[in-house]
Amino acid sequence: MFLKKYISDVFGAVRSLLKGMRLTGYYFTHRKEIITQQYPDNREEMKLPERFRGEVVMLHDEHNEHACTGCTACELACPNGTIKIITKFDITPEGKKKKALDTFIYHLELCTMCNLCIEACPTDAIKMAQNFEHSVYDRSELTKKLNKPGSKIREGVE
Amino acid sequence: MMSASAVVFYILSFFILATGLLAVTSRKIFRSAIWLLFSLTGIAGLYFWLQMEFVAAVQVVVYVGGIVVLIIFSIFLTQQSGKDLPAPLRSRAIFSVLAVCAGFVLTCVLLRGYVFVPAGHSGIAGTGVVDASVGNIGAQMLSTSEHGYVLPFEVISILLLAAMIGCIVIAMKPKPGDK
Amino acid sequence: MLSIENITHSIDAWLNGTFNPTVAVLLESLIVGFCVIGLFALLGLILVLMERKVSAYMQIRLGPNRVGPGGTLQTVADTLKLAMKEGLTPDGADKFLFNLAPFLVIVVAMMILAPVAFAKGTQIWDINIGVLYISAVSSLSVIGILMAGWASNNKYSLLGAMRSGAQIVSYELSAGLSIISIVVLTGSLRISDIIASQEDGWWIFKGHIPAVISFIIFIIAVTAETNRAPFDLAEAESELTAGFHTEYSGMKFALFFLAEYVNIFIVCAIAATLFLGGWMPLHIGHWAGFNRVMDYVPSSLWFTGKTFFLIFLIMWFRWTFPRLRIDQLLNLEWKYLLPMSMVNLLLITLIAIKGWHF
Repeated sequence: MFLKKYISDVFGAVRSLLKGMRLTGYYFTHRKEIITQQYPDNREEMKLPERFRGEVVMLHDEHNEHACTGCTACELACPNGTIKIITKFDITPEGKKKKALDTFIYHLELCTMCNLCIEACPTDAIKMAQNFEHSVYDRSELTKKLNKPGSKIREGVE
Repeated sequence: MMSASAVVFYILSFFILATGLLAVTSRKIFRSAIWLLFSLTGIAGLYFWLQMEFVAAVQVVVYVGGIVVLIIFSIFLTQQSGKDLPAPLRSRAIFSVLAVCAGFVLTCVLLRGYVFVPAGHSGIAGTGVVDASVGNIGAQMLSTSEHGYVLPFEVISILLLAAMIGCIVIAMKPKPGDK
Repeated sequence: MLSIENITHSIDAWLNGTFNPTVAVLLESLIVGFCVIGLFALLGLILVLMERKVSAYMQIRLGPNRVGPGGTLQTVADTLKLAMKEGLTPDGADKFLFNLAPFLVIVVAMMILAPVAFAKGTQIWDINIGVLYISAVSSLSVIGILMAGWASNNKYSLLGAMRSGAQIVSYELSAGLSIISIVVLTGSLRISDIIASQEDGWWIFKGHIPAVISFIIFIIAVTAETNRAPFDLAEAESELTAGFHTEYSGMKFALFFLAEYVNIFIVCAIAATLFLGGWMPLHIGHWAGFNRVMDYVPSSLWFTGKTFFLIFLIMWFRWTFPRLRIDQLLNLEWKYLLPMSMVNLLLITLIAIKGWHF
């Protein structure tokens, strides 16, 4: 029936348009829904979402120990060559040679915060931090060494 | 000393004539259309000056808002409409000037033969001064009395209907099954 | 009691007493001209700020909030910026028409303002064909857009102008039919008569459901005629950069921008006049007590309130609905709005003849 479809089309359209207007009208009248953060003003109390990705950091515990085995899985996972891992050979107490991390080089200026290195890491040694104020005067400051000086791998991490 | 009303009349007339002249002499077709638009708007202004507001508004709606817009549309859709037009042939120019002169003379003759009635006389039958209110125009348009316009009105309606159906027929795409 | 009517009357009396009538008329025209220009500037400042704030709140943002208290001076700063920018004219443009177009658009907007009644007894020109004059002159504004699009010598501009032309020409029909439905109920084209006929109630209430339908159709049609979202195909940023005013900068762009907002004000003022009684306070039939209470609110406030409510409604549309495609736009007009408004006009005529309205 043509006329019936025509009229029901009109009513359906009006109803869906009113539904949209109800939502925007709700937002218009409810100021508490506003999600804008007035950034430089609220620098102290600003809350970032949990999944915000600012930079890659390596976790160190209180004994200055990390969990990185130097397996280079993150380096292979990185799509644009942000991570460079230099390994060395440690001598274990049994007198065997063992591959270990020497320097974890992280080029922040190349990083796109894609999270692939964190997903690739088998030992959860690295994670995404929330610091995003990265501007510096010299580009070379953006090339970072993630393992702290004198740190070593935690016991029992393979 | 001219009255203010006469000054307005001469300004309007000069505007209409000047823009009309520019419309026919301009070498850019789009500018021609715009000059035509101004000329037609000036004529609407003249109707306002004559206090025939309804006719003035209809002039604007039909000619300016309708016909000139259509002209501009067709200019937009034609090829190379941004280029200058070629200069008209000498013979064609001469004949158009002659045609203009003939039209001017014809208008003058007609105007001379017409008996003008000074404004201000109320609508007495036979004097030619009419009641130009919208209501009266509408009543006359559908009146079946002696000076009513119902027949021309209906004839024009049929003509427009025929034109509309013709447009639809021309624009209709043949279905794939048809030849 | 201090009202705009008394002020204008006393100015008129003083001018006529001091100068001879011709000079007085000239001076009055001058004053009216300055008032209109001032109104334009004020409307531009207020409406742009309102649009930005409304859009921000509807999109859960804050909007401009740095310049002045709560961002109220943002548009003043924007205007200063535009005034100081260089007005470029592209090389291949038709210089004369390119520069003429923005002025044409703004002059047309000024001309439409003439028969609008702002308050009781405050009207520039109470012409006897009021609403017809408005729809006639508003059909001129499309010429300015077509001119700008053509003269810019730019593909986007030309496409935007053509879309705008097709859109305005088709939506003028249903806007006109909606206006006619109120003219049928009132029996007059004069704005002051239309307002006076709503003394015992606004037409949107008195005319039953057909009046409501023609009000809705009118609002949709004028939203399309002013080239606003969801009908902003003429400037569609994502497709045509800025449509017909892509090539404009500085004050010439500002004039287009101003004309857009002034046109919104005008169409909302007309909608308020036709359907919501213009400056007429909310009166209900013969409830003398209720009507007297309503009369205490000044008429100019009623007019501004209604107009700004409708402007808010149109902004609400803009920030809620997605843009229509060109075929959807023309379908909406020719397959839905036009047949509906024709049937509606017949219903309204029936109501008017039978005297079924209140």
